[in-house]
Amino acid sequence: MPEKKDVQVVKHGDVSQRVGVEVIKARGVDVDLLIKKLIANAAAEFASTYYYYTILRMHLAGHEDYKEICEDARLEDRAHWELIVPRIYELGGELPNDLPAFHDQAGCRAAKLPDPPTVVNILTLLMESERCAIRSWIEICDMTFGKDPRTYDMASRILNEEIEHEAWFIELLAKERDGKTVPSGHFRRGEPGHAPYSKNAKFYNP
Amino acid sequence: MALLGFPARQDYRGLMTPEPEKFQVALLLPNEERSIEVGRDEHIWDAAFAAGIVLPAMCHQGYCLTCAGRLENGAEVDQSDSLVYFPEDREAGFVLLCTGKPRSALRIRTHQQKQMRESRKQKNLLAPYSWSKD
Repeated sequence: MPEKKDVQVVKHGDVSQRVGVEVIKARGVDVDLLIKKLIANAAAEFASTYYYYTILRMHLAGHEDYKEICEDARLEDRAHWELIVPRIYELGGELPNDLPAFHDQAGCRAAKLPDPPTVVNILTLLMESERCAIRSWIEICDMTFGKDPRTYDMASRILNEEIEHEAWFIELLAKERDGKTVPSGHFRRGEPGHAPYSKNAKFYNP
Repeated sequence: MALLGFPARQDYRGLMTPEPEKFQVALLLPNEERSIEVGRDEHIWDAAFAAGIVLPAMCHQGYCLTCAGRLENGAEVDQSDSLVYFPEDREAGFVLLCTGKPRSALRIRTHQQKQMRESRKQKNLLAPYSWSKD
């Protein structure tokens, strides 16, 4: 158990340090590394997926169900980005003041329209993008579990949704490519961008 | 035309099932050296994992650099499964173990993510997880 001094090193009236950071450092979190990882994950949510999913969904013509599911994933990834950014600043970090530099920090590759842009290729890319996101977020969960409840709570909410996204795209790809049924177990979201975990909204449980 | 009762043009080589080619890979871990066998079509990270060695990794797609290692014997690794791998990485001896397949016996220093990111940054190449305001 950390000593009480971890909350006392920040002097009265001092705005150069944060108790909210010192307490998690005292519990063993490498805050600089955490900030790097959060920036990489923010870039992956915003630049690698939200932006490129905008294009991917345009190319799912004739598959209106796929389009809508891609749109749900896209908007939920934007919700994740919105959640992560405040935490980066709270921890004392900041975003690169240069969009290409930010884009290049993403821990997952840009989900660029595949060539050829077939439905199977797009669904494969979507599924693999979600898999990278799951791996990136569980890393944050591992790093913060039992030490930084605020980041952990955020990461686990995002992870919940990334796991659901993977399940959606497995279901769609299995049917489209292999003619197999691999149920995701899910039936509907609310309105597009529902993001039940990351927006603290009600999730489907009739 | 038949020879000894077999159609002459039929190729019977496919009926044989040769042992898959395997290579000896020495892993120089931070505190010990371990040796494993890795098949030609197997990713080095997966073979290490199967042998009970958990190496760093995150994306498992050959992108994020978390699994980076460095070749100590200048041998060859097939990185065609990696999403992003530059000729400059090869020249500097860095390999991505999560998506790298051996093409000869190897000797690899593991846990090289910081070094590989630094190498990429110096060459102005993509280096995820390296940005800080300092």
